[in-house]
Amino acid sequence: MTVMPPARERALSPKDVVAAEWLKLRTMRSAWWIWAGAATYTLVGLAVIMMHIGSYDQASPQERASFDSADPAVAVMPIVAFFIGCLGALAITTEFSTGSIAPSLVAVPRRVTLLAAKTVVVACVAFASGVLFAGLSQLAALLLLGDRPPPVNPWPHWSDAIPTAAGTAFTTLVTALVALGLGALLRSAAATVAVIGALTVVVPSLAHLLPEALHLRVASVLIPNLAPQVAGAESAYLLSPPVAIAVLTCYTVVALAAGALGLSRRDV
Amino acid sequence: MIDVRELTKRYGSTLALDGLSFQARPGRVTGFLGPNGAGKSTTLRVIVGLHRPTSGVALVNGRRYADIGRPLHEVGALLDAGAVHPGRTAYDQLACLARGHRIGSSRITTLLEHVGLGAVAHQRVGGFSLGMRQRLGIAAALLGDPGIVLLDEPVNGLDAEGIRWVRDLMGTLASQGRTVLLSSHVMSEMALIADHVVIIGRGRLIAETSMEELAGRFRRDTLVRSPRQGELAAILRGAGASVACEPQGGLAVTGADPATIGDLAARHHIPIHELTPRGATLEDVYLDMTDQAADHRAGGASR
Repeated sequence: MTVMPPARERALSPKDVVAAEWLKLRTMRSAWWIWAGAATYTLVGLAVIMMHIGSYDQASPQERASFDSADPAVAVMPIVAFFIGCLGALAITTEFSTGSIAPSLVAVPRRVTLLAAKTVVVACVAFASGVLFAGLSQLAALLLLGDRPPPVNPWPHWSDAIPTAAGTAFTTLVTALVALGLGALLRSAAATVAVIGALTVVVPSLAHLLPEALHLRVASVLIPNLAPQVAGAESAYLLSPPVAIAVLTCYTVVALAAGALGLSRRDV
Repeated sequence: MIDVRELTKRYGSTLALDGLSFQARPGRVTGFLGPNGAGKSTTLRVIVGLHRPTSGVALVNGRRYADIGRPLHEVGALLDAGAVHPGRTAYDQLACLARGHRIGSSRITTLLEHVGLGAVAHQRVGGFSLGMRQRLGIAAALLGDPGIVLLDEPVNGLDAEGIRWVRDLMGTLASQGRTVLLSSHVMSEMALIADHVVIIGRGRLIAETSMEELAGRFRRDTLVRSPRQGELAAILRGAGASVACEPQGGLAVTGADPATIGDLAARHHIPIHELTPRGATLEDVYLDMTDQAADHRAGGASR
């Protein structure tokens, strides 16, 4: 049996495949709902911060000295990252749940190309959303805090908020790409969202139950906690910014590689 | 041109395709027939690279589907009309597929009108009937003006007018020199659409032949009713015909044409109440063939 070697044919332009994926995401109403969910949660988080500042104002000086900081990176962004993660998951799991993955792959038979195009689109949307929501919530927090001192004010100077915003935008991006990779592997929205929820919300909360020394070691490598470490912000966690960036990169690469492998190897 | 060579596909312990080989050539409509579960959809999915065969190969114009640079310009496929995002409009549905190939919006609009969905182009697909989804799927298959068109059960859910439309469309596509391969589990549909048929059962090729040749395989006999049936049977057997008693009464005669039967009866003064030449329908031939394949496999399994 002879099979001709693959001829060098003019392939699809990666730019066009990315444009097609952007069109798919844009014309998916659930994506807009999730994005609106992230926006709504930003407002909810800011309301919580407002109440936190209110109770700070009524607290005694001793209580004020040990007050938790009114930091949107803690109160707002982990949940926003979870929402944007869901968006990353849906970018591929919806194709499996509706079966539209078949026509998609008939149009773009090279599966890694398809996943790469989705990666570009999800990365852009997630990073832009991360910058937007982190920026807005920190700006709002700055305005609400006014000239209140630390510890309730996490930033001695307003410019100190910028690295934190960048750090949370970065973790939002990573959350969404990990979700995309897992979605390509698991093919189920429910399973992917459950894993992302565990990674971004459940495990970070449960980690507090561990003994202190172990807690710090575990918590330091959890995605939401990597945001302040990337920013080099003052925190109890253990990693330096370059190591934190390396850990986040590892999450992304491992999840996307697993997704690419799962998508390439299994029948559709 | 589609060239399927020795395809085998195993899912766990189930053998979905078992050394299947056939070809679909340009300029004619090839009907791909088999009962439900025969492996038609699996074969089509292997052709477009969605399923990886356990062994064998499916070639599209001489190479594997994944090696085609701009596949929509070469192959159009409708695999499952339901495989659409219900929240998208018909137009967006096509645009999402077309964008990667730089197929423009005028082509999409023209096609939607061509398949009769012009008026609902900007409505969500979720509200479409199965027939409308079939039409949308056919439009998607034609996006890149491909030389090869693969359609899996395209007339499912279509009304009589829709079926005629598909039939005419397939005929037109084939007359333009395109390769048209369409699957169905209903023979009567194919009899009107296809020039050539590939019949499979349980993942194996049962027949690859022209529609005419298949029609020529009609089993022919003559139904005879007479009040003196026993006598007539003896006379016919004496003349070399074979005679069987029909369950509903009457004799099924083969090996003697109606004129011979009538003459013989007249010579012996036997009254004839009915003399009907019968031909098996294509449907019967098909069911016979596929039943045999099923029996063969069932027998094999119990061994």
